Parts: sequence; structure tokens; C-alpha cells
Amino acid sequence: MKVAIVGASGFVGSTLAERLRNRADLEVVPCIHSTGSAGQIARLGISLTPLNLLDRDSVARTVRGCTHVVNCSRGDDEVMLKGLRNLLKACRSARVRRLVHLSSVAVYGDPPSPDSATEDGRAEPDPGSYGWVKLAQDRMVAEAAAAGLPATILCPPNISGVQSGYIEVIVGALLRGELALLEGGRSPCNLVDVRNLAHAIELALVSGPADGRRMLLTDDDPATWHDVVDSLSPLVGNVPISGISRDDLVRLIAAPETPRISLKKSVLHLVSSDVRAALRKDPLWAKVDAALRGGARLLGIRAEDRLRLAVEGPTRVLRGDRAPALNIRLCAQQLRGVVHRCDRARRELGYRPLYTFQQSMAAFRRWYAVFHAWDTPAAPLLKAL
Amino acid sequence: MATTSLNAAEIPTGRRFRLAIVGTGQIGRQSHIPAALASDEVEVTALVDPVVERARQVAREYGIDPVIAPDVTEVLEDIDGAIIATPNHTHGDIAVACLAARKSVLIEKPLAHSYADGLRIVEAARKSGATLEVGYCSRFRNNVLLLKQLLDAGTFGRVRRFVHQAGSAGGWAPMSGYNLDRATAGGGVLVVTGSHFLDRMLYFWGYPDSMEFMDDSEGGPEANCRATFRFSGTGLEGHAIYSKTVFLPSVLVIDTDRGRVVFEDSDESEVVFRPHGESVEQVFRQRNRKRGQEDVFRLQIEDFVRAHCDRRPPLVDGEQGLASMRLVEQLYACRKSMNADWYAGAKPAAIPSALERTTQ
Repeated sequence: MKVAIVGASGFVGSTLAERLRNRADLEVVPCIHSTGSAGQIARLGISLTPLNLLDRDSVARTVRGCTHVVNCSRGDDEVMLKGLRNLLKACRSARVRRLVHLSSVAVYGDPPSPDSATEDGRAEPDPGSYGWVKLAQDRMVAEAAAAGLPATILCPPNISGVQSGYIEVIVGALLRGELALLEGGRSPCNLVDVRNLAHAIELALVSGPADGRRMLLTDDDPATWHDVVDSLSPLVGNVPISGISRDDLVRLIAAPETPRISLKKSVLHLVSSDVRAALRKDPLWAKVDAALRGGARLLGIRAEDRLRLAVEGPTRVLRGDRAPALNIRLCAQQLRGVVHRCDRARRELGYRPLYTFQQSMAAFRRWYAVFHAWDTPAAPLLKAL
Repeated sequence: MATTSLNAAEIPTGRRFRLAIVGTGQIGRQSHIPAALASDEVEVTALVDPVVERARQVAREYGIDPVIAPDVTEVLEDIDGAIIATPNHTHGDIAVACLAARKSVLIEKPLAHSYADGLRIVEAARKSGATLEVGYCSRFRNNVLLLKQLLDAGTFGRVRRFVHQAGSAGGWAPMSGYNLDRATAGGGVLVVTGSHFLDRMLYFWGYPDSMEFMDDSEGGPEANCRATFRFSGTGLEGHAIYSKTVFLPSVLVIDTDRGRVVFEDSDESEVVFRPHGESVEQVFRQRNRKRGQEDVFRLQIEDFVRAHCDRRPPLVDGEQGLASMRLVEQLYACRKSMNADWYAGAKPAAIPSALERTTQ
């Protein structure tokens, strides 16, 4: 087996590469896009292959000779869509025996449709969202599978475990008082440990139907937000955590009203300080602006202030903004309310999570303390930051 | 405007310092070339890059018409000195070639990829009498100079402990990818990210008497590391944490017997002192703050040119660059692994036989 890992510098890709490199029966080709973000995999001292997914020839060259391909890549919409198209084409040309593509539960929308406990739930993400792009990818992979490319789509939720950026965000939010628990934290927090996910990818490389259908991939034991916070308390200490009602949370995340088109506002915007600052970069406009400001000054300070107020509007002060601002994006995840189940992966891949939620969080705590020097005499200084 | 104040015999009155930029990759293109073009004291007379077309492209981008060559030895006649902004393992040969021709060199940090190579450069500079400066550009920040003055004056009391950290998931992406190989970079995140602070630490407190070091390398350049330094004379203990995978706000915190200093790592940051038991904090800033911080790369180039012309040591000379290299190598020499079996005690579920079956 010769396995190309596209996106090997990322969290999942580097974990997978680290596991596979120890297997004597296969050769790994870790593909990276940027020399700047490949630190996690470069530390292994293995040979890395630069790969730009938008360069069709380069993709074809890299995939040629590989028997299996894992796609863990991320990027902007062009990389995700056009890049994947190039990768699928290269996989077909190279007749790879299996493509494992990483999707995301974001395809089910945010909040996800209530029937997305299983793979057959409605996938209706907001147009333009991350989930929307991932869904477009899933469809491309499914089409390629229908055309003969053996492909499996694994669909994880947020990824936990050692090095998890997602759990780090929760730690930061807890320390800064930015996380409020909805209804005591009873909502599900869907997670999969990165090692469980890497293990599932290994399985998907060689087993399962490869029919281009999505397969949810989670830890075995559903956790709640309370469980997550509780499991982090040995790390962060007894930080106060506020509660929040469903109504208040919904009100907080409600999208701000779209400003209406107003000719008056547009004209005032044109003469606002931001626009004038940009125009002043041109010497002619700088002179015009200086002359106008000179003229305004001749009217006296009060008249100049009134003019500025008319243009800029009054300074807005938000009321009741004394408590630490909540991380709305994180808090809003408690409204997702669905427990995604990995029954299909269990049945068709033979997937059994290697680690439980508690084991995963314990590993994260051990890693975090060492990598943030929280186990040194400097810890009080660092925590105060 | 031509420089007339330069007084070295080598540069005729009325002529600017003729500068070569060796290496037109990320740091050369984004930082050194614009800084040189912004200075009244230098003229970029040569661009050197083994990929000549890249150098030509950079010349077009900046609207300049220098001599372009793949090797610095081809432009030595056209220059008074050179900025070396190439992968770390190439600094030595390029610098020695310049210094042998009595051309001054400003070398992007670190001085070299190893202490031995750094020593070779320093000895070549000693022999030639030309200027050797090392590009620890943060030393040109006003706020760094201010903090040094305040520490020396004992403004905050006796320093007991300090912590410096910096981290980002990704970051600087050199075109050559030399940073992905220990042999070419001379190390990992300690060299790429940490060496700026190591230089400043030596500047603030001198060379430590003992140290400990941990990193996560498994043969390649480490992505995460942490170091502890002890200064026996003063009882001072310091910690440094760097990451290429985890975001760590870039900041220096100094604990003293009278309070705590917080110094964020940026051009415009202030020195903030929070005395113990007081609800106020003292903020220190430069008097000329209205002007803001000038481009440190330009200040560095001008210091280099003046050191060359006045035959005086530059702000960060070869000896200081070599001390940083010695510290880096000493840290790596006492390296312990940060890696552990994080899942210790957790017995993985049995791996299904599908893998074994299908990989036979």
C-alpha cells in the first residue's frame, strides 16, 4: 500500500501520518500545502511532498503510483471545490484502490437537522457556509464513486484529544468567562477523539463498502457540555461558569438586522473620516481634504464639532456590557441538540473507538499542562495572561 | 538624496552605500528590500538569488534596476556590503565569501545554522576588518531599549522570574522550505521563533548559568519547545515557551519583588508595571511616541551602514550573534523529550482484524 495523505500538516492529517509511518506494510506520502503550517508533521523528520491542489499536473504526479488517498485538506472555497475536482480526477486516472474523504457534520446545517442522528438526515446547510462547501464536496465524491472510484466519506463532529484546537478554545473561553452553559449543560457535545478518527480512516482504507456514502464518526459515549466542562475543571480550576436560558441564547445569536439602503447614509459615509483617510493617500484628494478641513475650522470649534457629529453620528455605548462578553459562536453550539451516531461505521467498517470520552479528555489535560508549561513554577504567571 | 555624512575612506563622498540583497525569498522581498529602498543611506545595486528569474521579478516589482546574479561572488565588485537573507545553512559560505573580499555583511538571524559555522563567520569578519551584524531586528524597537533602561535602573525592583511565550498555528512560510529540515534550519521553533527573545534575554540579563530544555522533535525540527534558565548570581529564573502548532499570545511577563511587568511583543507596545497590592498600573512609553516606531528593518540597515562607515561595532555584532548560537546549541544539547504517552492508562480497544486481513 502506498497512501497519500492530502492535508498532512493539519490536525487529523498529521495524527494519521504519525500512526501510519510506524506500519511496515505501507508507505506514506504526506502532502503539505505550506511550509509555514507544517510544523506538526515536520517534527517527525519524514519526507514531505509539497502539493498545490489547484495545480492539476502536480496533483496527478503526486497521486500517480499511490494505491490509496486520504483527503484531509482544508482551504478556501476554490481549494475545497476545484482542488477536490483535481484530486478526484487524479485518483480516477491513477486507479487508486480507495479514497477516504473527510467531511463534517456541518453538512447537516447549524443547528443540524433533528433527524441527523444518522447519516440519512436532511443535509441543508446555509448557502455559502462551511457546511455548504463540505456538502458540495460530498456530492462530488459520491458522483466519483458512482463513476467507479472506490470512495468512503467519513463525517466527524468537532475533534478532541491531544492537540485539539477545539478543546483549547473551550479552555480559553472558560478561563475568560466567555462560556455560559445552556440549561445546566445538558445539551450534547458531539466529539470524536483524533486517534479514534485516525483509526477509522485506517479501517476505511481497507474495508467497508466504498460506495461514496457518508459515514458519521463519533466517540462511542455521547458527552454533554456539562461533561466537557467538568472534565476540564482539573486543568482550569474552579472557574465560575454562568448559566443562560434558551431564550437569552437565541436572542444573543440572532443575526443583526441588515442595514437598509439610505441615500443620506451613503452620502454621509462618503464624507466620513474612514473614507477621507483612504482618499488622502492620493495627493490631489489630500489637498482637497486639507482645504475642506481648513474651511470647517474657520467656522469655529463648536460648528466644527456639530458638523463632525452630523457626519459621524453619536458615539454608541452598549448598555449593560460590564460582564465578560460571551463567545457567542461557542455558546450557540449548545443549541445543536442532536446526538450523531456512528452505528453505520460500527456496522460496515468494524469501527470501535479506541478511547472513551473520559480517556480522551484526560489525555488532553496531560498534554495541555506540559505544552503550555502549566506544570512549572511559571504557571501562575502564564495563567494570569 | 545622496549621503554625504558617511566618512569612511571606502565610500566616496556623495555616493550611497552600495548594497546587495542576497536571497529574494520571503524575508528579503517583504522586509529587507523595502527597508533598503526607504533609506537615504543605501542603494540596492545587486540582487542575488540562485533562481535568477525570482530576483528579476522582485526587481520589476520594486521598479529597480540592480545587477542580478545567481551567486554573490559575481557582484562583489558592485557592492560595499550585503544583506544575507538566505536559508540558515547557506549563511556561512556566502558571508565568508563577502568578508574575504572585505565586504560588510548583515546576516538575517540566526547568524548560522550551527555554532561552528557561526564561529567561522565571526573569525572571517575579525580577519577582514569588515562589519558583521546579525539581524535581530527587534533590538531596534524603542520599547525594547526602554525596557532595558528600566531594568538596569532597578525601576521595578529585584527581578525574580520571567516568562516569555510566543506561538501560532503555522506562520512564516519560507519559499525554500528550509525550515522543515533540522539540518538546514539549525533547529525548529526555538530557532525560528524563539531566537529573537533569546537574543533579548542575553541583552537584558546576560548568559544563564544553567538551563533545561524540552521539545517535541522526533527527528525533525521541533514544533513545540520550552526552556528554563537560571542565573545563579541573581537567583533569577526564566521560562520560555514556543509553539508552531498552538496559539500563545506573544508576551514577556517579569515578576519582581515589587510587582509584575507585562510587555507585549510588538513594535508599539508599552511597558506596563503592576505593583503588588496596588490597584493602579504604571505605563512606561517613549517621549517621542507621537512619531511611532520606525521600521526596524530600515533602522537595522542604517545602523549597519554607519557601523561600516564609522568603523564601530553595530548594535548586534557577530559576538552577540555567536552567543545566541551557543545558547541554542547548549539548549539542544540538554534536550529532553516533551512527548509522552498522553493516553497512558487508557487501554485501546482491540483493533479489529480487518486491517490485518486486508494488508496481508
